[in-house]
Amino acid sequence: MLRSWIVPTDPFFADLERMRAEMERLFDLASPIGNIRGAIRGTFPAVNVGETPENVVVYIFAPGIDPDKLELTLEKGVLTVSGERDTSKEVGENPDPQGYHRRERFSGKFRRVISLPESVDPGKVTAKYSNGILTVTIGKREEEKARKIEVAVE
Amino acid sequence: MATEATREVSVKQSEVPAAEEREQVRTIVPPVDVYENNEGIILLADMPGVPKENLDVLVDKDVLTIKGKIAKVVPDNLKPLYAEFGAAEYERAFTLGADVDVSKIDAKISKGVLRLFLPKIEEVKPRKIEIQVE
Repeated sequence: MLRSWIVPTDPFFADLERMRAEMERLFDLASPIGNIRGAIRGTFPAVNVGETPENVVVYIFAPGIDPDKLELTLEKGVLTVSGERDTSKEVGENPDPQGYHRRERFSGKFRRVISLPESVDPGKVTAKYSNGILTVTIGKREEEKARKIEVAVE
Repeated sequence: MATEATREVSVKQSEVPAAEEREQVRTIVPPVDVYENNEGIILLADMPGVPKENLDVLVDKDVLTIKGKIAKVVPDNLKPLYAEFGAAEYERAFTLGADVDVSKIDAKISKGVLRLFLPKIEEVKPRKIEIQVE
């Protein structure tokens, strides 16, 4: 999936890729200019936005969350997703904090705000959660859809 | 003879992967939590987009490898506007100690989170030693 988002890399260099991502994150922090609602890499949940001729589609990578506990709002072209993930509950009752060897997964409350293109119609929204990805599909306003213009031949 | 030659050629052709397969996909290292208790080790890995059928958990000697492929969710006519996540596959490997019973590893994936339970061999489980009072 996400073919056009894929940059080819050798899978054997996965660790190197991680270092590259970390460097990128550091540069991101130091960058003099950025999107006001943009996020630094490693932010949870990661968000991808794309569009088709009919819809704007937002993919929110939020694994391990009960869909009932995800709050999604759309107001004036701004989509907000918020929720909570407590990873300490996943290892059983009263986990011993000394028992962790690695703790890399996000744990806590989160909130992401995504500005959508102006062409969206807030009345046409659907959301679906599957395999840890929340997909939000927002229809475009009729007048914003690309139209084919017929050229008349005299 | 002619059939032999033809067969050989076709074998060679099948060894050449299709252009689609040859294209390398971006692999990311999934973040994990590793928790140990008296019974064994619990490993949790964030692998959003991976359905059960696309998941591979392999143990080769003392190396545990977890691999997952993201199922296609994006329509073909989608034009990306903004992307923070650009991977198609996950892969990560860990070396295991001799105290893990590799024949009893249990793997589950739910809501994009892989959960592995690696039980310890009976002999290495901690035992309480009774102190005799004279």
